[in-house]
Amino acid sequence: MSKNNDKKLKIGIYELTGCAGDGLLILDCEMELVDIFQAADIQSFLMAKSDNIDGELDIALVEGSVSTEREIEELKDIRKRAQVVVAFGLCATHGGIQARFSEEEWQKNLKEVYGDIEMSHTKAVHSKPIDEYIDVDLYLPGCPVSKDQFLNFLVRALGGSPPEVYPNPVCVTCKYNENDCLLLKGIPCLGPLTADGCGAICPNHNVPCYGCWGPAEGANFTSEFYLLQEKGFDMEAIKKRMANYSGTKLQEFFEKFKKESQ
Amino acid sequence: MKTISIDHLARVEGNGGIHATIDGKVVTDVKFTINEGPRLIEKLALGRTPDEDVSMSPRICAICTCSHKNSVLRAFENAMDIKITPKAYLLREMMHMGEFIESHSLHTFYLALPDFLGYPNAIAMAADYAFEVQIALEMKHYGNHIMKVTNGRYIHGENAIIGGFGKWPSREEMIFIKDRALQFMPFVQKTVDLFCGLEYPNSPNAETNYMCCEPGSGKFGFWGDEILISTGETVPRDDYKSVTNEFVVSHSFAKHSLYQDKPFTVGALARIVNLGDRLEGQAGEMYKKYFNETWKTNPFYHNPSRTLEIMYAFERIPGLVDEFLKLEDPASVVDYEVKDGKGTGLVEAPRGLLIHHHEVQDGVVSYVDIITPTAQNTEDIERYCHVAAQ
Ligand code: SF4
Ligand code: SF4
Repeated sequence: MSKNNDKKLKIGIYELTGCAGDGLLILDCEMELVDIFQAADIQSFLMAKSDNIDGELDIALVEGSVSTEREIEELKDIRKRAQVVVAFGLCATHGGIQARFSEEEWQKNLKEVYGDIEMSHTKAVHSKPIDEYIDVDLYLPGCPVSKDQFLNFLVRALGGSPPEVYPNPVCVTCKYNENDCLLLKGIPCLGPLTADGCGAICPNHNVPCYGCWGPAEGANFTSEFYLLQEKGFDMEAIKKRMANYSGTKLQEFFEKFKKESQ
Repeated sequence: MKTISIDHLARVEGNGGIHATIDGKVVTDVKFTINEGPRLIEKLALGRTPDEDVSMSPRICAICTCSHKNSVLRAFENAMDIKITPKAYLLREMMHMGEFIESHSLHTFYLALPDFLGYPNAIAMAADYAFEVQIALEMKHYGNHIMKVTNGRYIHGENAIIGGFGKWPSREEMIFIKDRALQFMPFVQKTVDLFCGLEYPNSPNAETNYMCCEPGSGKFGFWGDEILISTGETVPRDDYKSVTNEFVVSHSFAKHSLYQDKPFTVGALARIVNLGDRLEGQAGEMYKKYFNETWKTNPFYHNPSRTLEIMYAFERIPGLVDEFLKLEDPASVVDYEVKDGKGTGLVEAPRGLLIHHHEVQDGVVSYVDIITPTAQNTEDIERYCHVAAQ
């Protein structure tokens, strides 16, 4: 990452297929927005400005999953132009909720929704995270990313440092917050299996975690899974719940889990 | 034959383009494309539990996340005969107000105003309009703050659940929201005067049908159990398919809709055309002052309409807080059993009528149909662009 002080970092923000929530989150930094636009040179941000330039970049933030052939081309072009590519939000890091089907299920569902009509402007492909097509340097998960996480990332990037990592599952923050554990009340909370970073927002509100930051990297899956089983939860139901926000990465998650339990 | 294409429209919430085909001097075709790929959201929840569906379906759109939440909740509560408490009802309404304030201030000040004043973006405008940009940012922030207090976070909060809420906000948080609403009123007045007073380009003079929710009891509002059409007809929520008729077109992964073979418009302008005369207080006065027949035939009046709705929301909030605090604190969520059924939930999203229909069979979701405002507006967008391009 360039650390040249008299040269502002050139940043591009790109949206592939998703809900636009991660880009919107940047606009939601209302009180910091003017400073952001002053501290960095925002070269491209379609949602916010019309004078966009597609040139060389220090950092490209890419939001959304890759869901059309045209997006594959766009993504490859972004990779060529950017020194650092950041997968920004769950759709880019994991594929998002739209990525959980198998290829066959996806084909079948696509046909059911759109019939036999061939799209004239581009061809649909099954949604994938961006690292299926290009090398990705950094990952900022979350559906959507959080404001603290984004500002933290930006400030560190401006100083030439990599982003903070979130090695814990949601339960850790949940415990810091002294919440009553929902699992103990029989509510299927995915906190033990989900990457922390949101601040345990849902359990703070007595609502179970649905896993929207994606599976935790460093969690001890084996013991967490047996814990859930011990508590009498149906494993199939838990796996289905897990799949909702794990995109294409669920497989990896379970392979790791299998290894751990051997 | 030649084609003019704008591949990526800037300063819109989403990723779309416009392509006009010109033969000699005649515009022969206009297509509004959605560049995003298909997400098959209606299929994702099948076989999942209703609460998982409630978590996932608002992910369709970040900007209307609370509208989706209220719509999907209404659908499931109708499907399973669940009656939420009056207190929860008020909080749901508050959450909706937050979204309208956030979304409308984003759209009017950041996405639209730079065009009318000749700037590439709102931040560039700050050099000449520092005060306006600053206060507008604070207004947007205030809308977000309401969503965070009511629904847990700015985007895709999970506090609103089937049967009510996970947790009530505190008294202090509610009073803060009320106080801020009162403080904003002078700027809200300025906002209305600014947008209602701007000169708008002449536009394709064509009346269209306007559709929105019928809030009932002669009131203005953002949800209801019937659809109201500008022709005077009303359609009960479960018959929504008779008005929307979604169909697939070959240039967009967003479906299109027609009403009796004619395109129709939903959104702020539709609500003001259909319901504006029900506005009370300052918003009612402003409606009388500014609204006239030309609004009905010019889509540029969506922006002034949005500002009237911003004013409505700001005037509604203090009363909502008072009513909320007057009620005793019952449990924030009512007990319910998941049971089989079919339900439809109608709300107004900032961009227009939003319909969620969800069905439950054997404890899991068996069918989902979601009709978004964009699906309903695209036929009219293409028609307006066609005439404007000509
Ligand atoms: S409520 Fe959920 S996140 Fe909190 S400790 Fe229990 S399992 Fe973990
Ligand atoms: S608690 Fe879980 S579902 Fe809720 S915001 Fe955090 S990661 Fe997402």
